[in-house]
Amino acid sequence: MVDRRLAWLAGIVLVWGAAILFNLISLQIVHHREYAKLATERQVVAVEIPAPRGTIFDRNGQPLAMSVPTESVSIDPLRAPDLGVASELLALVLHMDRTALYGKMQWAHDHHHGFLWVKRKISYEEGQNLRNLRVEWIHIQDESQRHYPKGTLAAHVLGSVDFEEKGNAGIEQNLDVELRGRPGQARLLTDVKRRGIDSQSESDMKPGTALTLTIDERIQFVAEREIAAAVEAHHAESGSVVVMNPYTGEILALASYPTYDPNQPPQPGEDKAGRLNHAISVPFEPGSVFKVITLSAALETTDLRPASMINCGRGAITLFGRTIHEAHGGYGTIPMAMVLAKSSNIGAIQIGMRVGQANMHQYVRKLGFGQKTGIPLPGESAGKVRKLARWSKASLPSMSMGQEISVTTLQLAQAAAVIANGGLLVKPRLLLKKGNQTVPAEQIVRVLQPETAITMRQMMEGVVMPGGTGTKARLQGYTSGGKTGSAQIYDRVAKHYTHSYNGSFMGFAPLTNPAMVAVVTLNGTHGTAGFGGQAAAPVFRAVVTEALRVLDVPKDLPDQTPTPQVATKEEAADLAIADIGRGQPNILEDGDDEDQPGAGQAEQPTGPMVPNFRGMTMRAVLVEAAAKGLTVIPDGSGVARVQYPRPGSTLHQGERIRVEFAR
Amino acid sequence: MATWPTFFGRINETGFPASSDAKPERDPFQLRALPQEDVLFYCKKIDNSRLVREADPQARGACWSAIGAACLLLAVLTSVLVPNVASTLAGYKLQALRVEERQLLDEKRTLELQEAELLSPQRLEKLAQGQNLVAPFPGQVVRLNAKGDSAVAMVK
Repeated sequence: MVDRRLAWLAGIVLVWGAAILFNLISLQIVHHREYAKLATERQVVAVEIPAPRGTIFDRNGQPLAMSVPTESVSIDPLRAPDLGVASELLALVLHMDRTALYGKMQWAHDHHHGFLWVKRKISYEEGQNLRNLRVEWIHIQDESQRHYPKGTLAAHVLGSVDFEEKGNAGIEQNLDVELRGRPGQARLLTDVKRRGIDSQSESDMKPGTALTLTIDERIQFVAEREIAAAVEAHHAESGSVVVMNPYTGEILALASYPTYDPNQPPQPGEDKAGRLNHAISVPFEPGSVFKVITLSAALETTDLRPASMINCGRGAITLFGRTIHEAHGGYGTIPMAMVLAKSSNIGAIQIGMRVGQANMHQYVRKLGFGQKTGIPLPGESAGKVRKLARWSKASLPSMSMGQEISVTTLQLAQAAAVIANGGLLVKPRLLLKKGNQTVPAEQIVRVLQPETAITMRQMMEGVVMPGGTGTKARLQGYTSGGKTGSAQIYDRVAKHYTHSYNGSFMGFAPLTNPAMVAVVTLNGTHGTAGFGGQAAAPVFRAVVTEALRVLDVPKDLPDQTPTPQVATKEEAADLAIADIGRGQPNILEDGDDEDQPGAGQAEQPTGPMVPNFRGMTMRAVLVEAAAKGLTVIPDGSGVARVQYPRPGSTLHQGERIRVEFAR
Repeated sequence: MATWPTFFGRINETGFPASSDAKPERDPFQLRALPQEDVLFYCKKIDNSRLVREADPQARGACWSAIGAACLLLAVLTSVLVPNVASTLAGYKLQALRVEERQLLDEKRTLELQEAELLSPQRLEKLAQGQNLVAPFPGQVVRLNAKGDSAVAMVK
């Protein structure tokens, strides 16, 4: 009996063991792959390691654009048990409109979409609240969000990004490939509570390359502040400022107004003009600032020199059946330097005629007009320079005073840099470094002889001196040179020039060794107060003064307070312009604001007499010069042998005395 | 093992079953004696003091062998399992540290962003205006340590 029972028990145990063994074989051997795959799917999670977009710094390492991690919420509408409850829950946590969300979820559900973005870039608290819900159909994904911590600062340079962090304007768009990182992939082994146990990297994450711009945020801020104030004050439509190092081409500031906040995405119906970079994308007729190009070409290709006398025809000239006037009054025969200082239209035309069409066209092209500068920003305009074959007879006189050509503010800065650096065409640079690699500068091309550039600088100093058209650009403590421009805007519908102006000023400082060039343009100014000398020159002064201070450029002039008499003269000149400019449709170009009626003859120079330093030691020369408030540039050692200007001659304001010493 | 006498509590001080003659007075509540109680409740006294376990060296060796084998097995199992367990625990810790590292990096970036916002020129200018401060003139600020990044400066 007992044996029989034991036999039964043994049989049952054997069958039980066999069943276990059979199952083990089935699980571990027969269906091994299948179950191993299922286990892997449950235990191993593919994790994307986000790659932050590269930070954009200014030249001093201040971050202008950077990405910070954030989270976005998506759901699987097909797995949500009750769309009504789900939408109510999500709307409550994410502070959204419940009805709209329900509509979206219902639509996705009806169309069998298993994925729906609920909200992008949620806050940390919202993310935590969602996690606490522990609902499997809600997915929280890591993303990053682009921030522009300085707000509107350099908005046109930086540009902006879309929801996918893809650049859609500015440097963000042009260098999107470098800025965009490559996310990595890792496989994370998790336990039943989804805690990570081990991870294996499948592909390494490559963060976006950090970019260092040539922009100096302090100078950029001042440029934006001043151009905004000027545009508002003169009721202009827009304005732009470019500040550039003439030797390296590094752009220290590139401001455009109106501006925008790149942190805010474009709103429907928003005026796109605010996002337009006027400094590079909006060409305009430059007007009188272009006379610098005319005179440079003349110095290079003709025997004209600053002292060469130019017949300005007493205020009117008739060419090819067209009468061209000065803005007001007229000049007789004046030196070429005075043509620039007074911004004589007829003088510029006479000089341009001496240059000739071919030479003029050649130098316009050599100085970079009619072609893009190559700055790494989207939407750059090349401006417009007609082919020589398409020039009419009136083209040369028109172009001599800055008409029949369109240029950008940046192109003017590039041309001004040629004058400032001694005749070299330096391409504007916006990118200083990519990561830790310095971006090499482009090859520099000589386009003007050094003598020509130096002579132009001297003549351009006359523009900011009393009697010139740009006295409001004169700096305290620094010498400077420049040129004003006030070009009438052409009405394409009415087919004549209006009384709206593009007021501009291009200049550099200090004169002998310019640390920077700056070009200011205000588009759509009205009346005489909107001329370049009135509207743009003060912006130049404010920006350059601040920039020179920021860059620690040593002063080259003793501090002097401008006399009130100068300001009174300017005001008188403004009124005269307003009277004369009205109702004269045949005037191609208004002269500039500080032109004084009847100033046909050269002004008598006033200033201190140059002492005789010859035979004196350097110490004695410096002591005497300091006592008289004069600036001396010593060269060599020993006793003074040669000096320029000569002893006894009158020293112009801002002019330095060069003394050569020898033993 | 309990014997009958012990079970029924019929053992006197000597260890032998109590005799009925020993008690002069009958306890009214005591049960009557069972038939053949003295036989059934007789407790035989056995003296095992002279008994000695026989020496068995083989059994002893087997015992020690079993103990040794168990220890060895334990050591082997431990040496096999401990690294795996330690590796798993280290994996948990490593992952937790990786998550913490990422969180700290994220936090660092957020703080850098806040710093940049606080140092924005617009904000600084507003603060300066609130304090009636003005920008210095060119050359007014003289850096005492021109080479380094030192902020030491004086105003003329």
